[in-house]
Amino acid sequence: MSDLHVAVVERREAMLDVAAALDFVSDSRFGGIASFIGRVRDHNVGRVVTGISYDLFEPLALRMFRAIGERARAEVDVPLKLWIAHAKGDLAIGDLAVVVAAGTPHRDEAFRACRLAIEAVKHEAPIWKQEHYLDGDSAWSEGCSLCEEQREAERHDHAGHVHGH
Amino acid sequence: MKTRIALYGALREADASGHVELEVPAGSSIAELRELLAAHLAEHAPAIPAGLVRRSAFASAEEILHNHRTVPEGVELAVLPPVSGG
Repeated sequence: MSDLHVAVVERREAMLDVAAALDFVSDSRFGGIASFIGRVRDHNVGRVVTGISYDLFEPLALRMFRAIGERARAEVDVPLKLWIAHAKGDLAIGDLAVVVAAGTPHRDEAFRACRLAIEAVKHEAPIWKQEHYLDGDSAWSEGCSLCEEQREAERHDHAGHVHGH
Repeated sequence: MKTRIALYGALREADASGHVELEVPAGSSIAELRELLAAHLAEHAPAIPAGLVRRSAFASAEEILHNHRTVPEGVELAVLPPVSGG
């Protein structure tokens, strides 16, 4: 659909394109655009990070991005253009990991659609982050379980906690 | 039947080929496949933490397959450890 753009971009081939995202969600009907840009930072839990590798199950990730887009559209219930793009492969500090942009008639719907989309991408899409550290060590981030029984168990364990990742 | 399972994230380290192939009785549920995979990894990839398969989901290219679902025949599946995108 022309109101929804989803992509997985191999870092070796290109950097995520913020200008293209803002252009895509621009429309003469829209007075509000909200965007979220996720970048690779140089530390995590007290360790110096030198880079990140993203692994994705691409066909399912793209399907989920589209489903997330439809959920955002149903949630805001106004005309919406949405861009969801995630990087894949080996990223350096400062590289763009994810770009979400939402265009709507007014700012409230744009913020809500953008927030819904980035939270769903982080918690539901089949994407895995491996951090590389200064000492040469690497580790896969702990992450969110997609297994429904496990999610239920973890929801009880984490009741009242804010999701930190 | 033979079922091929692609490995992602931390589970890639279970097999350098990026997948495992398991002999799965026809009509097995995803919950049963989970037990078979856990037993396979305990034997062939003991460095993988035992709880990781329990926290992982199974999927086709189209959808997540929850525990009660039947393992589809002739479809390559993927095992998805906890996700950490963004």
